[in-house]
Parts: sequence; structure tokens; C-alpha cells
Amino acid sequence: MSRRTPVQNFFFYLIIIVVILFVLGPYAWMVSSSFKTSVEIQGMRPTWIPQTFTLDNYKNMNTTVPILKYFTNSLIISTGTMLCALVLGTLAAYGISRFKFWGRDLYILVLMATQMLPGILFIIPYFMLFTWIKNTLGIPMTNTFHGMIFTYTSFALPFSILMLRNYLDSVPKDIDEQALIDGCNRFQALYKVIIPLAKPGLAAMGIYAFIMGWNEILFATILTSTKTRTIALGLLQYISQNQARWGEMMAACVFATIPVIVAFTSVQKHIVAGLVAGATKG
Amino acid sequence: MKKVRYLGYLFILPAVIAMILVHVIPMGWGILISFRDLTLRNIRNWREAPFTGLKNYITAFNPVTTVGQRFLRSLQNILLYGFVTITVGFLIALGVALLMNKPFVGRNIVRGIILIPYITPDSVAYNFWRFIFQSRIGILNEMLLRIGIIQEPIMWLVGKNTIWAVIIASIWKGWPLTSLMLLAGLQTIPVELYEAARIDGANAWQCFKHITLSYLKPVIKTIMIMNILWNFHAYNQFVVLFGRNPGIHAEVPNTLIMREAFDNYNYGQGSALSVILMLMMLVITVVYQYFFRVRAEE
Repeated sequence: MSRRTPVQNFFFYLIIIVVILFVLGPYAWMVSSSFKTSVEIQGMRPTWIPQTFTLDNYKNMNTTVPILKYFTNSLIISTGTMLCALVLGTLAAYGISRFKFWGRDLYILVLMATQMLPGILFIIPYFMLFTWIKNTLGIPMTNTFHGMIFTYTSFALPFSILMLRNYLDSVPKDIDEQALIDGCNRFQALYKVIIPLAKPGLAAMGIYAFIMGWNEILFATILTSTKTRTIALGLLQYISQNQARWGEMMAACVFATIPVIVAFTSVQKHIVAGLVAGATKG
Repeated sequence: MKKVRYLGYLFILPAVIAMILVHVIPMGWGILISFRDLTLRNIRNWREAPFTGLKNYITAFNPVTTVGQRFLRSLQNILLYGFVTITVGFLIALGVALLMNKPFVGRNIVRGIILIPYITPDSVAYNFWRFIFQSRIGILNEMLLRIGIIQEPIMWLVGKNTIWAVIIASIWKGWPLTSLMLLAGLQTIPVELYEAARIDGANAWQCFKHITLSYLKPVIKTIMIMNILWNFHAYNQFVVLFGRNPGIHAEVPNTLIMREAFDNYNYGQGSALSVILMLMMLVITVVYQYFFRVRAEE
């Protein structure tokens, strides 16, 4: 590659720094505000660095809004989604990676198309479906954990299946055949041989499903209320008609981001690779 | 071999059932109820709702009705929002991807940092942007005042500026993914091509136009259609920044449909609006594919 002159170098790094500031600025504001007193937030001119440093927002964030409960709700729903998506997704991905059957290509096409459909199209009838299930079968669905887990699992599936299929395609088929010769049936071959080999791909897919459940807003607005409300909606409750608790909200935002950052950084290479593969192959 | 075929279906069956329950049945049902006057009165038994034919669809485009007026306005808003967000976001993404494709100190760290907006949960990101946009206590107005670009604090979250506030926040959130995809595309271009072009006397712009862009074309094509369709889904950023009713200047189809269905209990009307939205997306996809195929053949 051609070398840069010092002047070019200067501008090169300048632009990089501007980009980083643009990306991190809002984040810095969130973190710094979470350490400010409410007097400083409401009463003084805003500054980037807190004038008096306080942990009160973190101590009090659970008093106005039961954010810890919402956090636990989200944890239950997202973990449940992750586990269900892992089971269903692995089976389906293995099916389309290892078998040729009539309708397979159509199924893959449907999976791709489903990702593009707007959630708004389903939400009204979906809400009615849940009401119908409750009225006729007697199984409560709205405002339950299993209802949310089922919903999110189905949303996570199309992308999960496609991502995992890419990964499974890279595991040689000879390995399955060897396992079959050694006396395994198909399910045993998948369970005992392929799954251990596909762990990184599975981890990426599970985390994708987890993050999806953690972030979803549209369906959670309609299908959850106090008992199962997720953290994504809970954050909105710090601001009401009567008061705006920005400091506590920023503390809660930091708190809500941590699981996602931890989950994502642990498998970022695979998720990004999956997303990028979707773009470059499409 | 027959057994193997049947096994394939067995493996995909659970996922197919889940998706039929969540995607296929509700979609069909949604289309059915969009032809009916389904409200709170008859929600328990939708078949009792009077069949009204295309009435809900006609109302959607009738500017005399409140819904029609709001819907037409929401389409205008989403087009403006989508156009600016996608264009500006794409230019930033392409610029940064080109920089990131060059070797420099700390490249991996920078790559990690630019991922941050992408992985931040929507509700967190748009909540802190909502705080940033506060007219008196927000940092954005404070900085603009300090630099002297503005003399009076701007009202970002009320009135005419709302659409620009949501555009700024969405660009911040959206460009990193585009950039990563472009970067992946850039990394597939063989370096020898540039060397050969240099020897043939091509300048930097010619290299960019004939090598970089032509290699990136398929990636750009996918990114663009994905972004266009995703923008029609936009809901989170609007509801977090402005609440359930963003006001006329930042109303988008999704916020309108949600209010029409779950605040005004006009489920039939809401379904009709969402079917229209889906049809528009379908037309856009088909036209887009056709346009690109024709262009590619030329």
C-alpha cells in the first residue's frame, strides 16, 4: 500500500478521532449524567463532567421504577428465547444443511423474506390470537413469560437458522457419515458429534436471540404489563407527566446495556460474520 | 433415500410450526380483518364485525378523514426520514469503511468502538438521545450555544424539528452496521487490481469508480434494500423519543397504526393501514430488483 505523507497522516487520524467522538459522545453523556445530582441536571448549565460526583442515581434507580424486577423479567424472557431458539434453530439449520428435500430452497427463501416483514403487520391479529387462545383454550398468553418467549423465539428463528446453517455448512458432511456408520442415528449424530463442533456458531446464534429479546419494544408494548414488563419499556417510566428523573434513567440505561455488551463482545466475531455474510451473499 | 427425505422435514418441522403460528396465521388473519369494521365492541368474535369491503382502504387515502390525513402525512414523513437517514448514513459508512480498510495504528480498537451504537439497545440509545435533545438541560443545545451556531435553545422534541431529531439519532445508531458490511466488501477486492490500475495510469478517482465501486455493487445493493425496508418498520426511535403520539411532524405509519389499533380500538382500520404498508414495501422490493437487473444487463 502507498505510504501517507505526514500531512495526510495528520488528517487521516483527525478524521478517525472525529468519528470516535461522534460515536462515543452520546455514550459519555449517558455515563457522566448517571453520576450527576438531580440538582445539577435540572438547575445548572449542562457540562460533560459532573461537578459533584454521586452514586445516588444507582442507589435510587429502583425506588421510583421497579427496574430490578423489569431487569429480571427481561433476563427470564431473553434466556428463554435463547434456549428455545437454540433447540428449534439447531434442528432446522441441521435439516436444511444436511438434507435435500422438496421445498428446501423455497423454505430458505421464506426465511429470508420473513426477516423483511414488518412486525406491525402481525401485531393486531397476533393480539387477537392470544385473546382467542385464552378464551377458548383457557391458556393465558398475554402478560405471561411463556407467551413472550414463544413470540420472540419465532422472531429470532429466521435469522438464527440462516446464520447457523452457514456455520454448519462449513462442518464437513463426512463427519456425520462417519458417526452414522459407527451406529448413531441422525439425532445422535447431531447431538453427539455436530453440536460440539458447532459450539461457536451456536453461541453466536444464542446470543443473537438473547439480544433480540432484550431489545424488542413493539410487541412488548402490547403483550406485557406490570407482571412481565421488560427493561426496554421500563426505562421509559422514569419520565412521566409530573417528573423527569433523568439521572436515575441514565443509571438504569447503563445497567440495561451491560448484559448486551457482555453478551455481544463474547461472540462478536461470529455475529458480525453472520450479518456480513448475509449482505455479501445476498 | 426415502427415509432421508422424510427426516429433513422432521428437522425443520418445529421451526415451521412456530413460524406458521406467529407469522403465517396472523398475516392471513390481518388481511381478513382489514376488510371489516372491527372495534372493541366485536373484538371477542371477529366474525360479528360488519364486512365493509374496501372502506378501510379508501379511508386511508382520504385526506378529509383524520386517519387519512394522518396516514398521508405519515407517508411523507417516513419518505423524508428514510431518504435523509439512509443517504447520510451511507455516506458516513462508506467514508469510514474506506478509512478502516487502510492499515493504521489501533485499527482493531477503532473497529470495536464504531460497533457500539449498533449493539446499544434501541431503548437505551434513544432514551439518552432524548436527554441530549432536551432544550434547556440537554448537551446538544448547550454545545451549539457555546459555539455560537444558535442564539436561542432549539426545541428538538416538539414541533417542526422533531423529524430532524429522530433523523440525527437514527443516523448515529444505523451507520456502523452499514460500514461493517461495506468494509467486508472492500476486503474482498484484490490489492493487485489497484496496482495494475496505477501502472496503467489511473488516478485515485478512476480507481475508486472502476474498481472499488464496481466490486462493492452487490453489497451496496443488498444494504440499500435492507435499509429501505427497515426504515418502513421504524417504530422504536419514534416512540422512545416522542411517546405514543409523536405529533404531526414526526408521525410515521407504525406509530399511527399502533394508536389507531390499541388506543382508538379500530383494529380493522389499523390492519388495513398495515396491509397497505406491506404492499408498498413489496412494490418497492420488486421495482428495486427489476431496476437493478435491467441496469446490470446493460
